[in-house]
Amino acid sequence: MKILVEHIGLSFLHTTQSLKETLLFAFKVVSRILDKNAYNSAVRMVLTDQIYFTSVQILPLFLTVAAIFGSVLVVILMLMVKELGMVQYIGRFMIGFMVNELSPFITVLLIALRSSAAINTEIAVMKVNQEIKTLEVFHIDTINYLFLPRIINGVISVVLMNCLFSIVVLATGLLFSKLIFGMSFNLYADVLLNSIYFSDLLILLLKCITYGVFITLIPILYGLRATNELTSIPVSVLNGMVKVFIAIVIIEVLSLIIKLM
Amino acid sequence: MLNKNAFKVGLFVVITTFLVVMTIGFMVYKKGVFEKVYTYTLSSKSGENLTLGMPVVFSGFTIGKVDVLELNEEGVVLITIKVPKRHIKWIRSNSVFSLDKPLIGAPKITVITENLNSPPLSPEAIVEIGTANDINEIIKRVNPILEMVNRIAANIETISVNLANPRGDVNKILRNAEKLTSNLSGKPSLLDMAVDDRESINALYSAMKSTKVITSQIEDTLKKVDAMAVKTDEKVYGREGSLSLVNNILKDLIIKLQNLDATLANVNTISKDAADSTKDFKLLREEIDGTIYSIKELVKKVDDLVPFKKEPDIKLP
Repeated sequence: MKILVEHIGLSFLHTTQSLKETLLFAFKVVSRILDKNAYNSAVRMVLTDQIYFTSVQILPLFLTVAAIFGSVLVVILMLMVKELGMVQYIGRFMIGFMVNELSPFITVLLIALRSSAAINTEIAVMKVNQEIKTLEVFHIDTINYLFLPRIINGVISVVLMNCLFSIVVLATGLLFSKLIFGMSFNLYADVLLNSIYFSDLLILLLKCITYGVFITLIPILYGLRATNELTSIPVSVLNGMVKVFIAIVIIEVLSLIIKLM
Repeated sequence: MLNKNAFKVGLFVVITTFLVVMTIGFMVYKKGVFEKVYTYTLSSKSGENLTLGMPVVFSGFTIGKVDVLELNEEGVVLITIKVPKRHIKWIRSNSVFSLDKPLIGAPKITVITENLNSPPLSPEAIVEIGTANDINEIIKRVNPILEMVNRIAANIETISVNLANPRGDVNKILRNAEKLTSNLSGKPSLLDMAVDDRESINALYSAMKSTKVITSQIEDTLKKVDAMAVKTDEKVYGREGSLSLVNNILKDLIIKLQNLDATLANVNTISKDAADSTKDFKLLREEIDGTIYSIKELVKKVDDLVPFKKEPDIKLP
């Protein structure tokens, strides 16, 4: 019994310590984001590369996935709405469910699956190969040069890709509302506009920014926890990705709580 | 490579930002964010189901929303609604506002305007809001049905209790039916089962035999009556029957009456002529009277002229 209580206590202390480290690191990085001296040509170059690898390279696949996934979900939703005789609530379903909840969730999952894993591995490999230490020896600020562009890229990519996903879903919604309900563009636009609230859009934007910060920050943090052994790389990636998914769920739940308040 | 990537990234950021800005701009324009908004005040006895931001709906379209909810000194809830300028045409002085509480979905304020040509509603006016409660309406409708279902269930329960009870009515009926069928199988006839007395059964049998004899006698009588009826039919309706004779007499009578009509017409004519002649007689008489008078005058004059003649003698024609 004593061992069990000790185990629970250790686990709690470990989680608290981990959360504290994450938040401290986040604070340090965010404060650096707000510092205009942090941006030099090298940072801008890395940022451009990061946006290219995270958003532009994946764009055709992302748009295809958005169109297919969005169409299937929109058709299911509309048929369900038609069956239940709740056509007047189609705007709320499209905006409240598809745009505000599903779209950021799928976007962040797709980006996390690809980029978070890559960032985690990259940082862990750099740590194992002592590259980070080398940069520090040359007095290169690792936060500015390595982490800052990746985190800003995370924010920009999640926000923009989420907007694209939402636009694609709404466009497929227009197509299927015409086919299923015979709705005109004006009626569809009216129905959607009546269901859009600026407060919801603000929460959506904040949610995307928070997603962007944490799906890059956590992999960087766990990459830095790798030891000098090569075997620590998969362990750090595994732990980092698990934490990324936990962070996504926590942010989603928090956003719902804020919306309900 | 770097420049190529930078161009693609720039293009991606610019296009996506443009799309987002356009979408938000369209939304802002369509929602009329910068449009002039008119305020109307409604009142309600209760603030139940009223919430801030609640939509104001006209013909299924949201035209405004609840902006302020407050309780005045008289305990009446004042509801301030905001309606954009492009929608104020739907709100007129005869508009009816009601709080609509559907079974599914959030409550809303519904506006019904019968006559859109009525003068617009004054922003100073305070209109009382009605209530349309779907849930209560449904409960009201369902209650009698539920009562009926309850009664049916109670009846079914009574029947099932009766069925389960060995001394119950249903079991009694079943036992009687069983006794009846067993009695029926033991007796030679239904009559034996119904009446247990042998003497009565014999009396009934003899009565039935007598009835048979009486029936055959009645049958014979009826046959005779039938034959008589046939004969009567021949006498009356046959070729030589009285009915055809009467027919002939009547035909003859009609012809004679027609002849009599003609004779009567002649008599009428004669009497008319006679009446006319009577008029002529009167004239003739007057003429004769006039002639006699003239002769009389003439004789008098002759007498005056011929005084020597003692006895004037004039011969009339």
